[in-house]
Amino acid sequence: MIQFLARRMLALVPVALGVATLTFALIHLVPGDPVVAMLGESAAPTDIAGMRHSLGLDRPLLEQYGAFLGGLAEGDLGESISYRVPVARLIAERFPATLELAAAGLLVAILVAFPLGLIAGSRPGSAGDLAAMGFAVLGISVPHIYLGPLLMILFSLDLRWLPLTGRGGLAHLVLPAVTLGTALAAILARMLRQSLIQVRESDYMRTARSKGLGEAAVLIGHGLRNALTPVVTILGLQLGALLTGALITEVIFSWPGLGRLLISAINLRDYPLVQGCVLTFALSYVVVNMLTDVAYGLIDPRVRLS
Amino acid sequence: MGGDTERKRTKVARPAARVAAAALWLTVTLASACSRSAPPVPPGFIQVDIETSPSATDPRFSTDATSSRVNELVFDSLLKVDRDGQFIGDLADSFARTSPTELVFHLRHGIRFSDGRELTARDVKFTYDSILAPANLSPRRAAMVRLASIDARDPYTVVMTMRAQYAPALELGMQGIVPAGTAVRASTPRGSGPFMLTSFARDEAAVLERNPYRPYSGPLARGIVFKVVPDPTVRALELAEGVCDFAENNLEPYLLPYLIAQPGLEVSKSPGNGYRYLSFNFRDSRLKDVRVRRAIAYAIDRAAIVTSVRRGTARVATGMLSPENWAYDGDVKTYSYDPARAAALLEEAGYPRGAGGMRNLAFVYKTTPDQARLGEVIQAMLARVGIRITVRTNEFATFYSDIQNGNFDLTSMNWVGINDPNHYYMVFDSKMIPPAGYNRGAYANPAMDRLVEAGAVTLDPAERKTIYTKVQQLAAEELPYVSLWWDDTVVIMNRRLAGFQPYPNGSLRSLATVTLAGGSGAEPSR
Repeated sequence: MIQFLARRMLALVPVALGVATLTFALIHLVPGDPVVAMLGESAAPTDIAGMRHSLGLDRPLLEQYGAFLGGLAEGDLGESISYRVPVARLIAERFPATLELAAAGLLVAILVAFPLGLIAGSRPGSAGDLAAMGFAVLGISVPHIYLGPLLMILFSLDLRWLPLTGRGGLAHLVLPAVTLGTALAAILARMLRQSLIQVRESDYMRTARSKGLGEAAVLIGHGLRNALTPVVTILGLQLGALLTGALITEVIFSWPGLGRLLISAINLRDYPLVQGCVLTFALSYVVVNMLTDVAYGLIDPRVRLS
Repeated sequence: MGGDTERKRTKVARPAARVAAAALWLTVTLASACSRSAPPVPPGFIQVDIETSPSATDPRFSTDATSSRVNELVFDSLLKVDRDGQFIGDLADSFARTSPTELVFHLRHGIRFSDGRELTARDVKFTYDSILAPANLSPRRAAMVRLASIDARDPYTVVMTMRAQYAPALELGMQGIVPAGTAVRASTPRGSGPFMLTSFARDEAAVLERNPYRPYSGPLARGIVFKVVPDPTVRALELAEGVCDFAENNLEPYLLPYLIAQPGLEVSKSPGNGYRYLSFNFRDSRLKDVRVRRAIAYAIDRAAIVTSVRRGTARVATGMLSPENWAYDGDVKTYSYDPARAAALLEEAGYPRGAGGMRNLAFVYKTTPDQARLGEVIQAMLARVGIRITVRTNEFATFYSDIQNGNFDLTSMNWVGINDPNHYYMVFDSKMIPPAGYNRGAYANPAMDRLVEAGAVTLDPAERKTIYTKVQQLAAEELPYVSLWWDDTVVIMNRRLAGFQPYPNGSLRSLATVTLAGGSGAEPSR
């Protein structure tokens, strides 16, 4: 297990390098200039040149790339051009908010998807199945940008149960988490249903039933465990979508997370900040998928992490 | 047997138990993460929703509109602009032009920063000097190139010396003043304005409290929370719920009917000076022909756009200066909607209608996502007279880079807060092609150059007004821009607030004197 983790951690290095290179190339290739964004279009050419020099933007691109990689090797993401503070500090300020939102979204997804998936998967074709899958189709189809304000109108404006926006107590987290988690819940519920239907008629399920176990015990004890592997795969892959989905959810709910930081960094052409944010998103995606692999081993003893 | 089943049961229950444990762990983690509670808006404070975070809370380094809205409540400047666009004293008790290149300001006595220190000429000099110091890389330095030096003649007298005779020199007096010795890019610098900045979290909120050294009486707001809410629909919902008390010029016109229907809200509009225009690229020989530009002007139904796209929250514009400006002249050539005339002009310019009624005239119109709708409207209107428009939408930085580099045929942008008519020099003088200035369409006309250059150095107000009358007439004849509209200042306010006075330039200075129903310190309804 430790060996497995070490190997996967090592594999992070080429991934980080690839992401860093791609991000560096893309953000430098698109039109736009951080210095003009900062100084305004009527700035004196000498001021623009002076600032470009002080930021090191007048050096050849390859040299800038080298300096960026060199800094990265030392764990230094550089200084934000627009905020004039270390990129790492800005990310450290914002990333917890995004993680909190993504984790809450995940929790909502799991809490909704498992009961629905079990109801639907235990009796395919029943009314419960139809209702659960109807919800799933709806959940996948409704975009965040629409669901968010809809929930706000219902729970904040009409019922006055929950605050509208901002980050604060648990109450502030509910609506953004539901907005973010609904689509994932729908996907997971469908996946779980399908998976359960497949294992329902397996030999071991029949054996369990013939031992006199109740249907619920058979389903949860034997069926769920075997149906879980594909669900966990989807979960790992969809967590990336959860992180990027947080981008839109953060804007709707005025959530001070990394997504909004990235959007403003792109608008300001704040090269180091864009690179830092994208790298953080990419690495968290990879780490989550690594954890998914670990989870396989825990769920299915046939999978050995060697 | 029984024992065997028991053992199996515990075993098979494990995955479900694991899932439950993971869910429990997530819940606990989240609950602990959320144990910090959001600072509620304190009693007696008002909440103002803004769409973007201020870029800088140090007035020496801010250039965006949001920063100046917040900063002018925290920092005083030598001068301010009244509702008619005239300069009046703020820190300055009196001011005078003592020579063509010298301005003298006499400061009021007893003005205090929010830490109790008295504001003197030394602080004023310090503020300007730290902007002018090249090492500080202030984005405001460019606007001060005309300033040769600033001196504190005595604790209450400031002398500004220009490099050359410069008519709009008073604009230089609009800089917010910080105490001498304030660190560069300070996060919560002191000011002498009605409020002080007590906390600032980027992309979240800026909290302002009363400056303890600025006595006030009456049921006024004790403080202001400027909350960053990027989504316009959510800003509207916050207003409707009474979470937010006030918003100005940041709600899409289509949301207004909903807001007007809310009993707790008061929606008002007043004349504003935000100016939207259609700009031509004169590097294109087809657009160099004034007949083509006039045809485009006649083909655009601006009254219809104001009614539909702007929902009536704008006035059809005759030029860059709004009627509130002292130099405004409305007696210029106008272009009311007349497609027949547009067609005739295009025929005359040598662009007859071809197959399908379209002419051999196709242009690229560059815009940003939030303005794409206007692009589509213009596209449809110009198609009626046989001009084909391709609308290219890019996010702002890419769009802006294209405009700066002259990489467009047509575009529409706006100017906010135009005060001195010298703005004409910045946008229409042939020497002001970027990066020197804002003449992005590379318009060049010696007659215009002569006028706007004279306007910049003529000190006599009457003589200056004559010059800008000619400038406005020439601009309307020549059409380097097609004037579209002047935005209204639209204020949406909770009815517990009263007495807000809107400014044409959108200033929020009047929030300092807004009264609260139920008196200061009342618990806001939420």
